[in-house]
Amino acid sequence: MVDVANIVINGVVISSLYALVAIGFTMIFGVGGTINLAHGAVITIGAFAAYYVTTAGFGIWAGVLAAIAVPALFSVLLYKGFAERRSDNIIVVMILTLLASIVVEEVVRIVEGSQPRAIPALVSGNTEILGNAVQNNLLVAVALSWVLIAGLFAFINYSKTGKAILATSMSPRGAALVGIESGRINLYTWAIAGVLAGLAGLFLGSYQTANWAMGREPLILSFSIVVLGGLGSIRGSLVAAYVIGFLEVITTSAIDPRLSGLAGLVILVLVLLVRPEGLFGRELAEA
Amino acid sequence: MADENLSGEAVEGTPETTDEPSLFGSLLAPRYLVGLLGVVLFAVLPFVGVSTTQLLVLIGALYFGLFAMSWDTVSGYTGEISFGHAIFFAVGGYTSALLNLGHGVTPTLSIPAGVVIAAVAGVLIGVPALRLRGPYLSLVTLVAPLILLQVFIVYGGIFGGELGLSSPASLVTADEFELVVVANYYIALGLFLAVMLGLLLLMRSGLGSVLTAIREDEDAVAAAGLDVAKFKVFAFVLSAAVGGLAGAMFVHTPVGSPQPSQLLGLIVSIEVLIAAILGGMGTIVGAGLGGVFFYFTNDLLNQQDATIPLVDVGINEASLLLFALLAMVIVYFLPQGIFPWAIRTGRRGLRRARGGETVATDGGRDADGAATTDDTTNPIEQTAERYRRALDALNDRFDGGDDE
Repeated sequence: MVDVANIVINGVVISSLYALVAIGFTMIFGVGGTINLAHGAVITIGAFAAYYVTTAGFGIWAGVLAAIAVPALFSVLLYKGFAERRSDNIIVVMILTLLASIVVEEVVRIVEGSQPRAIPALVSGNTEILGNAVQNNLLVAVALSWVLIAGLFAFINYSKTGKAILATSMSPRGAALVGIESGRINLYTWAIAGVLAGLAGLFLGSYQTANWAMGREPLILSFSIVVLGGLGSIRGSLVAAYVIGFLEVITTSAIDPRLSGLAGLVILVLVLLVRPEGLFGRELAEA
Repeated sequence: MADENLSGEAVEGTPETTDEPSLFGSLLAPRYLVGLLGVVLFAVLPFVGVSTTQLLVLIGALYFGLFAMSWDTVSGYTGEISFGHAIFFAVGGYTSALLNLGHGVTPTLSIPAGVVIAAVAGVLIGVPALRLRGPYLSLVTLVAPLILLQVFIVYGGIFGGELGLSSPASLVTADEFELVVVANYYIALGLFLAVMLGLLLLMRSGLGSVLTAIREDEDAVAAAGLDVAKFKVFAFVLSAAVGGLAGAMFVHTPVGSPQPSQLLGLIVSIEVLIAAILGGMGTIVGAGLGGVFFYFTNDLLNQQDATIPLVDVGINEASLLLFALLAMVIVYFLPQGIFPWAIRTGRRGLRRARGGETVATDGGRDADGAATTDDTTNPIEQTAERYRRALDALNDRFDGGDDE
């Protein structure tokens, strides 16, 4: 008998983390037109920044700060080093970010080995939901994901900087004409994406484990999510993250664990063939 | 148009107005002499004290060069960047290995079968190209080998899962292992050169011009009354067949075996892409040499026992890291690739050596070669432009849709 409650709980947790990853990915694409293949490496950096800070004895909350600051800094460096200087050339940026992610993975693999590392939970204890004991840590992860995403929506739609981000994604030229500096806007976008992915890495590291290749699967699922939701659409990514996340949990826990990742990939191919613009099209404009 | 520049033909001038030099004359051009020297060098390697182990590495490197050339055929020319070219190597290699292991088909028959099935896979991947452009097609190519790998894992009984299959029959059998290796080396070298020559001739013909034109402006090609979809599918099928051939031959050598890590892994697709771009995208020769160089250097780094000072990490352990860093530097500073850069530098050096005269060896047709090879004509730039257009088109469609 398939445990429905368990599937729902796991689906919600994993989907809310994928949403964090995919929203950053889609924002970078929507604003700067860059496909950042190092976004998975940002997840890994977030997880290991938290791991090092906590094992050095500073406590998990210092680890959370590290999982925010270090990936944001790395993401900004990626933008400053590669994306900004080669902004006229999407392919070169794609390849450079791909190489950067290989460098990060290899450094972590060489320094840490391929042993998985566990990141301590933010809060201890369990809560009983639908007859299942759920770690409070996971509830925090889901809640934080929603708070962050709601905050992001508010920021994009109501703050001046957020509106500038929106304007740049709608029309970089138009935004430039009214005096919006696209460089600064891109910088904010990469920093926000870094924070979101870093926190996702922190929780993925405590929910599952942290290892050198941990960023790969979320990145590849992000492709599926972002394409399903429509490249550049925040709302689309949020919806698609839950669709893909649940499909993933259902296929692995109810059908066959070996099918891990397959559902998302099949969806990706189908969407690309049938409706390449995705569910919500490229409408960051109305997020 | 980088390939045209390299061939020394005037880019902006009309070819009809310049005198065509004799074939003999153009074969004596310095770059061909260097190329000929390289071929001779490769041919005599087994006789100048290169050990059997080193020859084995070179066999792998030559097949990897074939992979890179097959990638270049579709991505370098039509500008549809394939992120999952390993699927064709795997289809070719696994087909040949399965036929040989399971049904006892000899390699001489199973290899052509592998090529045919790989070409069919090329049709399957090429058909989405009828609907998709730019980054979207790239995503399909990225995902295809991942799905195939899942299939291999789920049907592990047939495909051997993540560990792969055992090695199929060798292409050459002899009593002495050394002889087998030398024979394999010459087969690999002969195939490498034949495919390189064949692809070069094809790409210098009308077909190559059409494919290059697709990279530059797909709509203009369609407007000229040519069926873009047909040419794209053809490029995919050709590329898949070459990749399948390389994969099928590779599994029957002493170095290769039908394993996902050698034929299908994500890293294989990425390594091929890096190698071809390092060598020079859209040049065939550059991609082939890039592949050989990549495999050889990677192996060389893997063999090193020395440790990197200060951090105390073995070079062999950090080989991929070192290579990624090297590739990053090259892509950052020479986005066109090493091979086109070397040709241009060599040409400029030759001109300077002749006392600044502007007439080059091939009748002055590339007198302003350096001026015509600015960044706007390199394949990567054009592909990037294609991607941008595909995204803009989508954007416009939506802006239009919202207004209604």
